[in-house]
Formats: sequence, C-alpha cells, structure tokens
Amino acid sequence: MIQLQNVSKSFKGNIAIQDLNLEVKKGEVLGLLGANGAGKSTTINMLLGFLNPDSGKVHVNAIDTSHNAQEARKCIGYIPENVNLYPYLSGLENLDYFCKLAGLKYSKNELENYLTDCGLESTAQTKKVSGYSKGMRQKVGIAIAYAKKAKVYLLDEPASGLDPLASNELSILLKKLASEGATILMASHDIFRVREVCNRIGILKNGVLVKELHSKDVSANELETLYLQFMQN
Amino acid sequence: MLQIIKNECRYLVRSRIFIGISIAFIAILLLSVFLGNYQTQKQEQTYKNAKEHVRQQWVSIDEMNSHSAAHYGTYVFKPSNLLSSLDEGVNNVTGNVLRVEGHVQNEIIHSEASQMQAVSRFGKLKPSLLLQYIVPLVLVFLAFNSVSSEKQSGRLKLLVLQGAKPIQIILSKTISVWLYSVLLLIFILLIYGILNFQSLTPEILTRTLLFFLSYCSYYFIISGLTIFFSARWQNATLALTSMLGIWIIWTLFLPNILMSSAEQWHALPSRNEFQSAMKEDRSKGLDGHNPADKRGLALKEKVLKEYGVDSLSQLPINFDGMRMQADEEYGNSVWDKHFGNNRDILQKQKQKFQLGGIVNPFISLQNTSMGFMGSDNLHHQEFLLQVEHYRRVFIKMLNDQQTFGGSKTGDWGWKEDNAFFKSVPDFKYKPTQISTVISNYILDVFLLILWSILIIVLIVCGTKKIQIV
Repeated sequence: MIQLQNVSKSFKGNIAIQDLNLEVKKGEVLGLLGANGAGKSTTINMLLGFLNPDSGKVHVNAIDTSHNAQEARKCIGYIPENVNLYPYLSGLENLDYFCKLAGLKYSKNELENYLTDCGLESTAQTKKVSGYSKGMRQKVGIAIAYAKKAKVYLLDEPASGLDPLASNELSILLKKLASEGATILMASHDIFRVREVCNRIGILKNGVLVKELHSKDVSANELETLYLQFMQN
Repeated sequence: MLQIIKNECRYLVRSRIFIGISIAFIAILLLSVFLGNYQTQKQEQTYKNAKEHVRQQWVSIDEMNSHSAAHYGTYVFKPSNLLSSLDEGVNNVTGNVLRVEGHVQNEIIHSEASQMQAVSRFGKLKPSLLLQYIVPLVLVFLAFNSVSSEKQSGRLKLLVLQGAKPIQIILSKTISVWLYSVLLLIFILLIYGILNFQSLTPEILTRTLLFFLSYCSYYFIISGLTIFFSARWQNATLALTSMLGIWIIWTLFLPNILMSSAEQWHALPSRNEFQSAMKEDRSKGLDGHNPADKRGLALKEKVLKEYGVDSLSQLPINFDGMRMQADEEYGNSVWDKHFGNNRDILQKQKQKFQLGGIVNPFISLQNTSMGFMGSDNLHHQEFLLQVEHYRRVFIKMLNDQQTFGGSKTGDWGWKEDNAFFKSVPDFKYKPTQISTVISNYILDVFLLILWSILIIVLIVCGTKKIQIV
C-alpha cells in the first residue's frame, strides 16, 4: 500500500531524505522513530503529495504521488500532531464539513456513529471544538479519515502532548483500524507508544533509515537502548 | 466551493467580534444614510422655498422697463439631487446659487464648504465616504489572515487532502468576504430605497444599479487581492501590511498625485486670467449702453436700411433693445469661447485622470460613484450650461420685448406690465441623461471590469505557486 523506492529529497542543498526504501503492507502499522529533523515529516509530506522527491518513487495504493497526488490523496487519511479543526464548529459539524469536501454525504446518525467509533463521547459531539482537549480533536481527526474510508493512515506525532489516557485510547483506535485492514504509517518520538502499536519500526537519522525491525523482536527497553545508540553515534 | 463559502459564512455569523464590529459599522452606515437623506431633503426644501421666493418676486413685478428688469435679474438655484444623498461628489465645493442678469455671466456662489467649517474641513458624512474608504479597510481586516491562518494551523493541508483545490479555497474565501460587502451595500441601498420610495424613478434605479455594480466590482478587487496576499505571503502580518500600503496609496496618495498631474498637464487659467481675458475680448465688441460705439453705429445703419428710414425716431421699433441684444450676443460668443475653452481643459483633465484607473481602480470607483449619483463635475458643468442657456433665453425675451413691445428708441420710461413678467418662463433643470453619463464613464467601467478579471487571473495563476507545507 505504501512504497518508497530509493527516495531522496533535499532543501536548498540540505539533505532531508537519502535513498529511503520503505514498504508498508495492508493491515500493517509502521512506526518511524527519529529526532527532530530526521526526515519523518518530509517522508509523510511526500506520501501526501505535497512534496515531490528529487529522485526515487513514492507510491500510495499503487499510485505515484508525484504524478497523481489528487488521486492518491483520496485513499489517505492524515492526522497531524495538532488536529486544528474549526473552533466555531462542533465536532459533528467539523466532520460533516470535511466529509462534504471529500464529496461524502452522511446522515447525522452516520456521522455520530463515526465519532463514537473513534471514541468521542456523544455528549461532546455537539459541543464547539474550541472547548475540546487535544485528544478529543485527535479523535475527530481520525473520524474524518475513518469516514473517508481511508485505506492509508499517515500520522505525524499523533501522541505528542496527549495525556496517558488519551494516548492509550489512540493506541487502541489505531490497532482497531489496522485490524480492519488499514495501512498505517506513524511518525513519532514516543518509543514506548510506537513499540506498543506498530508491527514494524524504522529508525531515521539525518534522512537515512538506519534500522528497521519488528516490534515483537524487541522489548521497549531494548528499543530505547537501540534508539539512543543510533542517535548518539 | 459552495461548502467552503458556507463554512466561511458560518464563521462570520458565529464570530462575536465580527458580529459586534458589523453591528457598529452598520449603525454608522445607517446614520450616514439617514443623515445624508435628511440633509438632501432639507436642501431640497430650502431649494424649493428659495426658488418659489425668487419666482414670486419676479412674477410680482407690477411695472418695469424690460431692460431694468434684465439688470434686476433673477436667481437660479442648483437643484438638490436625491442621489447625492449617497455620494455628495463635488457639490460641497461648487456652490449652488447663480445670479442671472443682462450683460454678464456670473459665477456660481455659496458653496456649502464656504459657509460651513465642518464641511470644508471634513466633508459631509455621506455613505460614499464609508463605502469608499472604510468598507475596503473592513474587508482587508476580515481577509488578511483568511488563508494564512489555515496554512499556519495546518487546516489547509487537511482541506486539500479532502479534495479541495487551492484555487477553490482562495476563490471561495474571496467570494465569502466579497459577499459580506455586497450584503452591506444591498442593505444600505434598501434603506435608501425605503426612505425615498415615493421618489424612485427608473432613471434613479438605473443609476443606483450602476453605482451598486461599481462598488461590487471594487470590493471584489480588494477582497481578491487581500486573500491572494494572505495565501501567497508566509505570514499574515505581511499580507496585512501589503494591503494597508495599497489602501493608502490607492485612496490617499495616488488620487491626489494623479489629479495634480492632470491639472499641471492641462492647466486651467486662473480666475484673474479668465476674467481679464473675458473683459478684454468683451471690450472689443459692441457696448449696448454706448450709442457712439462703432459696432453699435454699424448695426444702426444696417437696421435703418432694413426698415428704409433715415433716423432712429422713424423706426417702428425700439433700437435700444436691438443694440442690447447685439451686445448680449457678442458677450455670449466671448463667454462661449472662454468657458468652452475651460470646459475643454476640464474634459482633458478628466480624461487624463480617468487613465489613472489603469494603476488605481479606486479612481475609477470614485469617478463612477460621483458620475452615477449625478454629483460629479460633468453634471455641474451641464447645470452651468443649462443656466447660461436659460439666461440667454431670459435676456433675449426682455430685449425683444424692449425692441418689439411697442416702445420707441430712447423711450427708457416705457414699462412692461405684470402679464409680461409672468410670461417669462422659470428655469427648469433637465437632468443629464444616463446614456450621456455612461458614455462619459465607460472607460472607468471598463477599467473596473478589467481589474476584476486581472484579480481572477492573478488568483488562478498565483495559486499554482502557493505552498501547502
């Protein structure tokens, strides 16, 4: 579903991504670990078609994002670090608006079901987003992607700033989506959350994928040690 | 696009700050409409009273020599225009009373600016003041961070990811902001229409529609440009600064600079020069009060020959009246020459100033606003011409009465009766036809349309380079 082949990208001579090869299959969750500036967001932006690689190929659902970004985006759900919704609209209205933009028309009941499925309590759904916590906004963000029936979910630091409860709820939700066949790529600093949610983990350093491993092969502590080793070298 | 427009409107409706500002602004606009209307109605009443009073004086003349009546003269008042309650144009400074008498074309006097310090300092609070200067500012403040806030919050990415194209987003936001200004305009014009419902004519409605379309066009230019900057620049402050700069240049500096340049380019003679030249040319002609005047003597010979008599006393008519009319006609040709020259210069100035609309659509807006509301210099000049035409008819009637009314040459004691003075028609102002106004401002209309198209082109071409991340 997600494929990056020999992808390189630089900005004004600074290398952001160098010869990156990645593949995430259907139902798989890949976690990308890396420090700030490692190239995680650049990778996601290339998958979204907002940046074109200098060389190499980027495919989402077998569509080349450099050539047909519009088509590729149709099957992508994107959840940024901060899901900034329209504060003057309720969660329900935000979902309705974003769905309509995607050409999807749902009944109020259907929209409520999507939000409930994504963990947003029904009492909160009609309240204005300006009063939402970050976790609640993340849930609406995921509901937007979920209602779009996205095949691919790209998450950029989704757990950053979330309290442990909200973070745990997010993990459960992502596992649920993966079990339903979604392909998920999650960029994060949070080693423990990545270890918990993802099937596979990649460590990015200065735009280079320095390590790729299965999460079942390492414990959280081993992963932390490994990560620190790579970062310090 | 419709979804984005709806969402933008929802934002405006739900924003307390926006609602507060809108209510305050609408209140000021309403006040300006009511004040403008009140002032115009008051002016209209004053005009009617003054006109009736002067006419009454004229028709009450019992007995008077017709030439004395020509010196006695009358007054013509510039009628107050119902439309000028929306845009006062040049009316504040042009004066509104003209004394009509024999031998001389007087200047229009008693401008409001010369009588009211507040008017001379600040102008009148008319809707056009707010519509031309303040509404564009409100639009700028409403739109300057419209796209940049979406960009900074990351929502732009989400919008594009959901299938919205950048051009759709920018056009929708432009239309939303523009619609706000259009609604304001409609509201103002509706109130104006309700207040003047009984006086509305197809002419007034056509002019108001053209006025509305001009403003709609200008507001689209401002909204589109602000949204474009908001999308193009990396931060909102830069977009706001750019638009405020443009507002200052367009509304404060360029109109003054361009008008001064046009005046330099085609300079009008000073009042002294104008009057001296008139006096000099006039002195070369026939003096109606001087029987020894050369041209007067030539005319006398011609008339004596025509009537086949040897002396003025044998003429069945009063030659004094004929000489006075000849004097008038010579004076008229002098006036036509000099006033016509001034009109030509003013026309050239206007044409040059209109070209300023190429770089500044505000100039085109101001021109069309005043033009369609009948308060521009074109209408003023037209009024002056009509008054002069009336003066000629008025004086000729008096001179002809002196000539052919039964008196003989030298009979200065002859008096006309009241019936004659009643038969002299009153001045009737014929408003300038809308077709004439349109043909005069077609360039401004064209430039406003061109600017609107340019803004669309700018948005279409410029959005290709807009960075989403």
